[in-house]
Amino acid sequence: MASPVPDRELKKGSAELMILALLEDRARHGYEIGQLIELRSRGAIRFNIASLYPLLYRLEKRNWIRGRWIEKPGQRRRRYYRLTDSGRTVLSKQRAGWREFVEAINLITGIQHA
Amino acid sequence: MPDFRNKIRARLAALQLSPVREAEIVEELSQHLEQEYERAVSCGASDDEARRQVLEQLNASDLLSRELKHVERRISEKSTALGSERKVNIFADLLQDVRYGLRTLAKNPAFTAIAIVALALGIGANSAIFGVVDAVLLRPLPFKNPNQLVMLWENAAHLGFPRDTPSPANYLDWQKQAISFTGMAAMSERSFNLTGVGEPERLEVRRVSANLFELLGVPARLGRTFVPEDDKPGTHVVLLSHSLWQRRFGSDPGVVGRAVTLDGESYTVVGVMPPFVQLPGFENRNDQLWVPIAFPPEEATQRGNHFLEVIARLKPGVTLKQAQAEMETIAARLAQQYPVYNMRRGAVVVPLHEQVVGDIKPALLVLLGAVGFVLLIACANVANLLLARAAVRQKEIALRLALGASRSRLTRQFLTESVLLAMLGAGLGLLLAFAGIRILGTFIPPGISQIQTISIDGTVLIFTALVAALTGIAFGLAPAIHGSHLNLNDTLKESGRDSAGGVKGHRARGLLVIGEVAISFVLLIGAGLLINSSLHLRNLDPGFRGDHLLTMKVNLSEVKYPDRERRAAFFDEVMRRVRELPGVQSAAVAGNLPLTYNGDSMSISVEGVPDPPPDQRPDVIFRAIGPGYFGTMGIPIVRGRDFTDQDNGDSKEAVIISEKTAQQFWPGQDPIGKKLKPGLSTSSSPWREVIGIVKDVRQNDFVASPKRQMYFTYRQLKNIAANALVVRTSMEPMSLAVPVRNAIWSVDKDQTVADIDTMDHIVAQAVARQRFSMLLLGLFAALALLLASIGIYGVMSYSVAQRTREIGIRMALGARRADVLQMTVKQALNLVAIGMVIGLAAAFLLTRVLASLLFGISATDPITFIGISVVLLAVAILASYLPALRATKVDPIIALRAQ
Repeated sequence: MASPVPDRELKKGSAELMILALLEDRARHGYEIGQLIELRSRGAIRFNIASLYPLLYRLEKRNWIRGRWIEKPGQRRRRYYRLTDSGRTVLSKQRAGWREFVEAINLITGIQHA
Repeated sequence: MPDFRNKIRARLAALQLSPVREAEIVEELSQHLEQEYERAVSCGASDDEARRQVLEQLNASDLLSRELKHVERRISEKSTALGSERKVNIFADLLQDVRYGLRTLAKNPAFTAIAIVALALGIGANSAIFGVVDAVLLRPLPFKNPNQLVMLWENAAHLGFPRDTPSPANYLDWQKQAISFTGMAAMSERSFNLTGVGEPERLEVRRVSANLFELLGVPARLGRTFVPEDDKPGTHVVLLSHSLWQRRFGSDPGVVGRAVTLDGESYTVVGVMPPFVQLPGFENRNDQLWVPIAFPPEEATQRGNHFLEVIARLKPGVTLKQAQAEMETIAARLAQQYPVYNMRRGAVVVPLHEQVVGDIKPALLVLLGAVGFVLLIACANVANLLLARAAVRQKEIALRLALGASRSRLTRQFLTESVLLAMLGAGLGLLLAFAGIRILGTFIPPGISQIQTISIDGTVLIFTALVAALTGIAFGLAPAIHGSHLNLNDTLKESGRDSAGGVKGHRARGLLVIGEVAISFVLLIGAGLLINSSLHLRNLDPGFRGDHLLTMKVNLSEVKYPDRERRAAFFDEVMRRVRELPGVQSAAVAGNLPLTYNGDSMSISVEGVPDPPPDQRPDVIFRAIGPGYFGTMGIPIVRGRDFTDQDNGDSKEAVIISEKTAQQFWPGQDPIGKKLKPGLSTSSSPWREVIGIVKDVRQNDFVASPKRQMYFTYRQLKNIAANALVVRTSMEPMSLAVPVRNAIWSVDKDQTVADIDTMDHIVAQAVARQRFSMLLLGLFAALALLLASIGIYGVMSYSVAQRTREIGIRMALGARRADVLQMTVKQALNLVAIGMVIGLAAAFLLTRVLASLLFGISATDPITFIGISVVLLAVAILASYLPALRATKVDPIIALRAQ
């Protein structure tokens, strides 16, 4: 990730990283993922369902996450996504890459850690 | 709550996703939108406002479909959804059906295991028997263009020999006159004593025309075959068989050109033949050597002496019929020219293949039919299982039909499942066949040609695959059709109580039971007839006592023992030494032993009776024996006396005849003291006085009734030498084999001793084929009975289980246990009775093909038919009684509650 990253790819890459990170601890359904991203970014990042779900399906197709319909008593069934083993590997790599990238930006732009 | 599903679906339409996937996405996204909507409402938005906010996300642009297009696989217009009405993608469907089928089979391990084992038994038996049929009947003979090869026989049907061995003079005339053939070759049996290399040994040899191997298209492996120059009297050349070359000459590649000593004379080896060259012929022989036939002049002119076997190759384009017509014309001409020898003698052309397999063909075809029946029964059983299971699966089927699956699509899926089952059965069956063929091989009597080539090969594999596919369709069709013709409303509404039964299913299962019973009945009758025959065979009196008899061939060399005095001196000394051995009760010199030789018969004339015309002179089998032969063999002397040492060249010529001969020539008279002689009364041979009458002996054929026989003492014969010893022992006969052989070698160390055997074993070999057919058919019949009783039991317990409620009501209303038992057993027996009637009719028609394999009973033997009916009925009663008994033990209350 040390090379210049085009804007579009950056967004997409960061979105993937966010989703993978959110699924690290437990399985979540799509709405929950959308809500958490909005919540944790304090409203800065919002996903439209037209971009969130295609992204989830893409990650699933790459076998980084896996969705399963789960029924709970008294509720409709919902599709929960969880991290796969290869997803876990990708997450740790992307995390490291992202950190390097952010540090590089910081060095260049002169923003200092508080 | 607004419904967003249609909105989402509309935006996905362009993607043409599979219905299943589309439904998933719609469900997931609509849930998301609903939650957003709820949140908006909870934040104070009005319904309309919330709705607008939510839909904005969708309406923004065609983002959703654009994004999804990159991720979701666009499914071609063809769908693989089960039961969809869209266009058919056969391969995708098939693959899906196979996967689905495997899953269903795996879910019902008990059902699957039973079905596969039943099918494996049926298919395995078929593959094994087909392997034998293929090797023996179907595969071409190992010769060049074997279809053109024929055997030529004289037809002396009026004397009881529709295929008689031609005489040399007739053969030579055929050869000169016939134009239907590219070549004709003659063969004749003889034997040689091989000496000079290790132990002396008696070898089976055939004299053959020099062109024989060229005619057959079999080249030599080493050296050459015979050339026309070899076919002259006095040429001492010899071809070795592969096994003799390996065994006695250590596979020496330099053997060609070497000299070997045969009957005391030197022969030059010109070649070695490849392995497994078995020349076809009348007898099953194991030729070890071949020499040119080279008719000496006195033999070439013999017209009344029939001992040749003749093979010919049809010219291309000449049909069997044309050749037959030509040969008949030639035979008619010869009959006119030589009425004394050839009157009423015709000629027969027999395809070589028919000649070789003719004997074993009916037995093999019967076996093939029998295993076919076993397979049918196995199919019926599996069909029954499938029907029962289809009943259980009715809800699933109905649901799929309701969702739009076509009936043909469902039928196809059922068939895929049953073919899958059949293929699995075939796989296991092949393993059984591998083992089975190995076991079959050890049971197959020697002398069935091409036995070495029996194996599971490509042809058998293809056969098995075909059988499996057909089987799968056969047993899957009924359940598939039945299953796909459900009445949706009824099935879906039914609580399930009777849904598993149904009139149709009931009837189908009933028909299967009837079929199973009918087929088993036919098979059991066939087996019963064969077993009965074999019992008859066992009780058959061969005319001698076979136990405790040791036999061996002692062929004297004509060079070393040229006259009867020297032969007598040799045998006298051997007899003296053998009789002294401990464990020997008696011993005698014998001619060809019973059941070891088919030849040696001649016509005779009786003193005082004018010679009948040539075509009416009955043949009499003759044997040259020594004194004590009858006592040793246990052949009772009915009247008169045995030969003694005083019956020799110096005394009056004597003959002992069998009872049948006595009846033929002196009916109602005492033959003792009467006289007969071989050939015509005008011939130069001396009259022989009848000194004794003995019981008839089965000389040539154990199964056929004995023919007329007579015995000479070898001491009064110039040419025909006795060639065997027979020893009655007080212990296990084989334990004396070595002492007796040593006694012979102590008289002449170069004398060959061959075919050491017990008489019991010779008799067993003579009936080996009948035993073998009986054994196999009996085995298959037992298998059929087992499968059929499982089938009846299965159907009965199923139908009784279905009627638990009805039985409960009956018992609650006061029916006694005995009444219920009677009712259910009666119902089963109705089916069994119909099956047996059909089976009986079929058995009457089908067992006719068994006629040639039967002995001592007719193909419609009433005892067998009645006995088998009783057995089958007993099994059927038991198979239906057990489930009925179980049903009556049910507590009526529980039965009534049962759904």
